[in-house]
Parts: sequence; structure tokens; C-alpha cells
Amino acid sequence: MAEKPIEPIHQFQIHDYVPFGDIGGAHFAFTNSALLMVITVLVVSGILLIPTAAQRLVPTRGQLIAEQLFGFVRDMVESTAGHDAMKFFPLVFTLFTFILVSNWLGMLPYSFTVASHIIVTACLAVLVFLIVVIYGFARNGLKFFKLFVPSGIPWFIIWLVVPIEIISFLSRPVSHSLRLWGNMLAGHIVLKVFGGMVVGLASVGALGAVAAILPLGMAVALTGLEVLVGGLQAFVFAVLTCVYLHDAIHPGH
Amino acid sequence: MANPRDTKRPESGDDGTSPTGDLAARIARAQAERPKAVAQPADVGGTVSGANRAFRLASEFVAAIIVGAGLGYVIDLVAGTKPWAMVILLLLGFAAGVLNVVRSAAAMNAASAVPPGTPAMPDDDDD
Repeated sequence: MAEKPIEPIHQFQIHDYVPFGDIGGAHFAFTNSALLMVITVLVVSGILLIPTAAQRLVPTRGQLIAEQLFGFVRDMVESTAGHDAMKFFPLVFTLFTFILVSNWLGMLPYSFTVASHIIVTACLAVLVFLIVVIYGFARNGLKFFKLFVPSGIPWFIIWLVVPIEIISFLSRPVSHSLRLWGNMLAGHIVLKVFGGMVVGLASVGALGAVAAILPLGMAVALTGLEVLVGGLQAFVFAVLTCVYLHDAIHPGH
Repeated sequence: MANPRDTKRPESGDDGTSPTGDLAARIARAQAERPKAVAQPADVGGTVSGANRAFRLASEFVAAIIVGAGLGYVIDLVAGTKPWAMVILLLLGFAAGVLNVVRSAAAMNAASAVPPGTPAMPDDDDD
């Protein structure tokens, strides 16, 4: 352990478990990332389905957790995106629980943080973006373009404002995915750096072992912070999804 | 749950009337009292920490610049107008980034209520 150089980004490596071979030049395999996603879906399904299988008027503990989670996301969708957006509640609920549980599962030792790869968060953000665009056009038709033309702008400014608004709109999936990915990646790297300091100092000698208490304390504190960040980022991702859905339903600021 | 009648264990209604007998009616009443949905996208960031707000603003700014530059690069490749579309769209991307930041900051400010007793204007009397 001590001979190996400490690599803070080693934890993000993808390993193939079941390779499917190359299809059309692209490499397909069942990886550790995919395994964690499957486990996440199983955990979420288990938490929600098992306690609510036999619904009781006075809820059990498990049923209460499921109901509270449900109510929390429902209030978020209703207050942020409006009542018309409730048909997207399953989407927001799925995104929220998936990100939340995968972030928290990623905190376990020897686990893998799914959201630390930008392709995962980008896929989720692009999914939301495409739903907003497609549903926005389906519901509002060409009125959806009002999103890019703020009202009350003089004609000589409008040709400058519209491209800016379009770029601003197109930047949504980028910032949407960057935020979750950046938070998870940076947090786990910092955690590993402090963990590496503990190992490095402890291998020096008795004095080093005493000094290693300092980074160990930081690692403990950062672990708590990472749990908080994981929950917070799942919440922020879901809230922003609601905000974007609100724009799809009510274009025009 | 805060019903004073529910002092004994629930679901043990041995006096004939189950304590949860009128629960369906109570749920219906509570649902009727639920406030109608008010759209307030300004809620974003109201409950998040300072570092998270900072990261949010930074990512919105950077994202717009990346999109502007990337869009310009693609237009240059397609139209063969080598540097110009990228230059113009990069600048527009900066503008869009500022717009994003201003919008997010406004939403955050609207979400975080002003504490009562705060003067409307900063007090510039240095006494």
C-alpha cells in the first residue's frame, strides 16, 4: 500500500465485468459503473416497494420514509414547476432518488460514484433538456420561441438579445451536468487526498503517525460534508429540472 | 398524529370506534386545504449553502462560454468562416454567461427573505 504512489483519481477507473465486445467500433461492457447503477435502482425500488406493498392507514417506519420522500418531491414539483407539471412528477422523482441514492452508495468503501463521470450526468441533463424542448414545442407550438424573445425589448436591441438568450438556453444542460459532476468528482478527490496524507504520514514513523491525526480529522469531517453535498446536489438537480419544466410549460418570462 | 384522541396504540380500537376511522375524511379535508400551486421558480438556491451558490453561479457562467465557443467552432467548420463565428459567438457566450449569473443571483436573492428590521438602504453614516 505504501509503496504504491497514492492516486486520488484511481477510484474513478472503469473496470469491465462482462465485456460484450466491440459493436460498431465502440466498446461495450457491463462495468463497475453499470453495476452501481443497477444496485442503485434495486435499492430505490426496495426502499419504495417493499414497505408499501401492504399499504396501511397508520404507516410503518418504512412506509413513512417512502411517503415522506414522495411528499417532499411532490411539493417541490408543485411549488417550483406549477401544478401543470405534475405529469412530470415520475421523472423528477426518479432523477432525484437515483442521484441521491447513487451519491450515497458512492460514499461506501470500495464503491463507485456514478455521478463522478460526466457522461452519466450529461445523459441525465440532456434527457431533461430534450424533454423540455420536445414537450415545450408540443404544448406551445411556435409560442415556445417566446422563451428567446423577452417582452418589452426595443427592436434595435432584439437582434442582439435573441442570440444571447439562445446561447443561455443551450448552456442549461452543460451547467446542469457540470454542477453535479464537478461536485462529486472534486469532493471525492479531496477526500482521497486527505486519506492519502494519512497513509503517507503514518508510514514515516512515530512522529508522522501523530501528525497524521490532523488529515484524519479532515477526512472524517469531509466525509460528513460529502454526504451533505451528495444530498444537496440531488436536490439541486431535481429543482433545476422543475425550473426548466416550468419554462417548457410557460414560455415567456 | 397530533390528534389528542390517539393516546392508545393505533389500530387497537376496542371500543368499537377505530381511531383511524375518520382518517380518510381527514385526509380529504387536508388535501382540500392544500394551497393551490403557486409557481415560484425563485425557490432555487434558497436553502443551499454559500459554497454551493458560488459553484452554481460559476458553472452557469462557464457553461454559457463553453456553449458559445463550441457553437462558433461548429459554425466555422461548416461554413468555412474560420475565426469569425467563434469570435462573435464566444463574446455572445460571455454575455449569455453574465445573463445566466444575473438571473440565478436574482432568483437566489428573491428566495432568501430579507430579515425583518433591516434598513432598506445601507446606512452610510459613519458614526
